Amino acid sequence: MAVYKIMIIEDDPVIRTELKNMLRGNGYDAVTVSDFSKTIQEVIELAPHLIILDIKLPVADGFSLCSEIRTFSDVPIVFVTSCNTDMDELNSIMLGGDAYITKPYNTAILLAKIASLLKRAYPTGNQEVIPYQNTFLHLESSKLEFNGQQTDLTKNELKIMYYLYKNAGKICSRNDLIDFLWDNQLYVDDNALSVNINRIRDKLASIGLHDFIKTRHRQGYFI
Amino acid sequence: MNGKLYWKQKIPLLILNGTSMAALTVFLLLNGINGDSLILILIVWGVVFAGYLAATYLFRKSRMDKLLSLAEQLEERYLLPEMMERPIRADDQVFYQLLRLSGKSMLEQVSGAKREQDEYREYIEQWIHEIKTPITAMKLICENHRSDVSKDLLVELEQINRYTEQALFYARSEHPEKDYLIREIRLFDVVHQAIAENRYLLRQYNVQIVLTETDDIVYSDEKWLCFILNQLIANAVKYRTESPQIRFFAEQNGNEVSLCIADNGIGIIDSDLPRIFEKGFTGENGRNASQAATGIGLYLCKRLCDKLGIGLTAISNDETVFKLSFHINDLIHQVQG
Repeated sequence: MAVYKIMIIEDDPVIRTELKNMLRGNGYDAVTVSDFSKTIQEVIELAPHLIILDIKLPVADGFSLCSEIRTFSDVPIVFVTSCNTDMDELNSIMLGGDAYITKPYNTAILLAKIASLLKRAYPTGNQEVIPYQNTFLHLESSKLEFNGQQTDLTKNELKIMYYLYKNAGKICSRNDLIDFLWDNQLYVDDNALSVNINRIRDKLASIGLHDFIKTRHRQGYFI
Repeated sequence: MNGKLYWKQKIPLLILNGTSMAALTVFLLLNGINGDSLILILIVWGVVFAGYLAATYLFRKSRMDKLLSLAEQLEERYLLPEMMERPIRADDQVFYQLLRLSGKSMLEQVSGAKREQDEYREYIEQWIHEIKTPITAMKLICENHRSDVSKDLLVELEQINRYTEQALFYARSEHPEKDYLIREIRLFDVVHQAIAENRYLLRQYNVQIVLTETDDIVYSDEKWLCFILNQLIANAVKYRTESPQIRFFAEQNGNEVSLCIADNGIGIIDSDLPRIFEKGFTGENGRNASQAATGIGLYLCKRLCDKLGIGLTAISNDETVFKLSFHINDLIHQVQG
């Protein structure tokens, strides 16, 4: 999978750094702009896949930057701002922004928006099946395959399995799992998670896959 | 005009005329006038005097009544000096001048206060936008460095954000029309957003979220709606019982879609129920709550709902249910084709 380059145009140094770290932690390549008199030049030079653009900026504001970038590029632009007036929102849409997020943003929402914009702008078409050992997780059809046998997974179960597959070999704490599910708008609590895990184990047993999900006491689950 | 008082004030004039009549009678009798002529003179005097009195009384009364009815009709009474005719009598004109002067100075005071209030409101809005930068920075720092401490901090940050939003919307609730963006929104998208904005709070108290998701579409302002939901969620958590649960579901009745937020919290006692949307009302629950209630949250929700044309009602039986009712406007569908 190609690593997407995201450019952060934000004047607050702390947010800039932390946003960069957050994006890097989530598998993106993040670059920042620090000299705002050369923003446009840097956009041209670095050619990012997506731009996160603050509205209030020194030198030129986000709106004028956006319309300038639009003269030469169709790169997805996410506006982030602390001014949540509707005029700003309207402006950002009119000038060619692809999304508008207000501070303090929820990182899960920001990441989801970024992911969906990237997916739309750069369709890849792969990523539908994740293999691990001799099992396959089919994301589109929500199925788990082992030895040619398949079992259907519910939305919750699929997301749990997705997280375990993504972190295969590592221990995933119950808390991280629940956090991930909440990021995906599945509001599962502690009890429900246990129920879901047990149900998945039953389903896996029915296709002959035993002890696939292992429990590490007081730490979490892993495959 | 008070007739009794008017006539009382005419007593000196009556006495003056009486005395004059008496003096004239004495003078004429001494000059040897006959009785008939004297009576005629006195009657003529009396009739002319009474006629004069009656005419001035009626004239004054009609003028004053006109002014009173003018004042009655005016929506903004302080404009009366601008609207009334300039009086004829010299002393009335003095009062008229005084009225105009005091009205003008009052207007200056009011517009000064209004300007100050506007400036203050603008400052508050600006301040809120500025405070959001450090809140965002803190949130990102916490999320990048996850630990037990950062989780607690995130709960507090959500709370700070909720309070700042409350202040912002309070400042804006005066003139919401300046900040509308009515759009087609999927009801449950806003619910997801509101849950996301309170996730650390909800996770901290292990609140069970039950969503019965539908694809209902409403026309409203997303930002405002999200704020209202935030307040309702925060309340549901605040007045929780053990193993708290919040349910979100939509109902269709005729030409209305309602979003219901039901919690299994401590509930609202019947006598408090009619007053929960009043400003500053805290009720039984507010007094007993671990955190003191401000009586602002629900008041603001109701106010915003009124401005947005959303119905907001509360029921409290086994569960406490807040219901947001949206009109389905077929017109919009027609316009959009």
